[in-house]
Amino acid sequence: MTGIAMQDKNCEIQVSLAAYSKLLCHVMQYPYTAVNGVLLAPDSLTSEDEVLEVVDCVPLFHYSLSLAPMFIVALTQIEEYAASKDLQICGYYHANEYDTDKDVGAVATRIADKIAENCDVSCLLLVENEKLSRISTEVPIKAFLPTKANERIDWKSCGKPSVQFGDKGLSIGPEIVNKQLYRSIIDMDCHYDDVSLHWDNRAIDEVVKLFVESLT
Amino acid sequence: MLRGVDPVHPLDEHKTWPEIRNKLRQWRKENVRCSDKIVELGEYALRHYSANLGREKWAVFEQVCVAALDLCPAKMKLVNLCIQQLSEQFPSSLRVSMLEGLKFEHLKKWDEALEMYDGMIEYEPTFPAPYKRKVAIFKAQDKLVDAVNELNRYLSTFSCDYESWMELSDIYINQQNYNKAQFCLEELLLQYPHNHLYHQKYADILFTIGGKENLELSCKYYCKAVELNPNNVRALFGIQLASSSLSTIGKLSSKSKLDNQSLAAWASNMIEDHYKSHKGTTKNLIIEVASVLDKLSIK
Repeated sequence: MTGIAMQDKNCEIQVSLAAYSKLLCHVMQYPYTAVNGVLLAPDSLTSEDEVLEVVDCVPLFHYSLSLAPMFIVALTQIEEYAASKDLQICGYYHANEYDTDKDVGAVATRIADKIAENCDVSCLLLVENEKLSRISTEVPIKAFLPTKANERIDWKSCGKPSVQFGDKGLSIGPEIVNKQLYRSIIDMDCHYDDVSLHWDNRAIDEVVKLFVESLT
Repeated sequence: MLRGVDPVHPLDEHKTWPEIRNKLRQWRKENVRCSDKIVELGEYALRHYSANLGREKWAVFEQVCVAALDLCPAKMKLVNLCIQQLSEQFPSSLRVSMLEGLKFEHLKKWDEALEMYDGMIEYEPTFPAPYKRKVAIFKAQDKLVDAVNELNRYLSTFSCDYESWMELSDIYINQQNYNKAQFCLEELLLQYPHNHLYHQKYADILFTIGGKENLELSCKYYCKAVELNPNNVRALFGIQLASSSLSTIGKLSSKSKLDNQSLAAWASNMIEDHYKSHKGTTKNLIIEVASVLDKLSIK
């Protein structure tokens, strides 16, 4: 389980604006249900690095998150896609159904464990539902890194991930709400309902690119 | 500032009176939860087309009220207005009282809401809605054991309520209690044997539980789902996965393994055709899918 080594180094998790935006859009488009997704990093990243850089994410499901078949298919498709873009799967994000549920539940743990067992580096991002009303000032996400404990994986909290461009980057959150960018998010559930919808969410990438240009 | 995106408002897409009325009807019929769009279009219709709506306006008031509760506290004034209009038109109506109960739920006044729903059940035991709201309250309080007990009690009387069977199966799936979720889907399949989605979901649960017998059964249910709807791509992937897994199990006869391999190959072809036949799927995606199907076949 090579993904476990990173916790020993107190590594930092950085999330690009593209990944952060897609994660927020996914959560906001389905506020009444649990959602989850997979995080992507450059394939040059190893467990020896001190910074886990999440450069993209692929939203997975908003319905029946813990059923195996489509999860297997989706992960295989995302692996194929990642390889073609010189990326690798580096983690998992999960938003619970209820705003009062602050724990990494059994479903999230099980899926995150599976990903950690099969990837070189991994992390778990849990959306803090109650903090979604404060996205202009703080990142509503708790980060966890895997550690090995008696042949089991333990997910240890390591604070919040940092978002690209810091406070200036956070201003994308309210903009996503105002411009209703969340309506264009496509996750794997949407893709399997209509295969002409692609889960790479290029449209959102383009919008985020223009936003980043306005910051720099 | 975000550039390159303009919010699309439902009023931009549906400008004429018939379009607005039809969209609201479609949302009511399909029970779609797009509360911000419903409030925008519904409020506009109530303000500008109240006379055109005629008696339908009361259904729209109810629809807008429920949607506005999703957007509270910002839309609390609208909620109160809808409840007031409906109460005046339908005094002592149980359906209007349900909206008052929903308001208590939004304000997290659980005891008041439960008291209201218990009162409604005592007054009219055949009205299903308050039973289901009690389940929703237990879920919101994270009292899943109470929610499951209440839902089971409700279903012992209202056993034809497909929505509740689905809700119970979803709760069991989230608790990873797949055997009980399987039972719920069996009830649904008895009532709706021609619904491809129920066959596919039943197969998903069987696959998740695992084991040779469950894999074989899941394959059959995926096949039934595809027979009912050849465009169910989840069921096609399910056939591919299940039959590929079965073809590698040592205990099966060589004929069974060959049959499973042929079935997996057939499913792969169907999936590739499905992707190729959809306008908008890119060449890269089709190539990726072919590679994915190869990987899923190899065990």
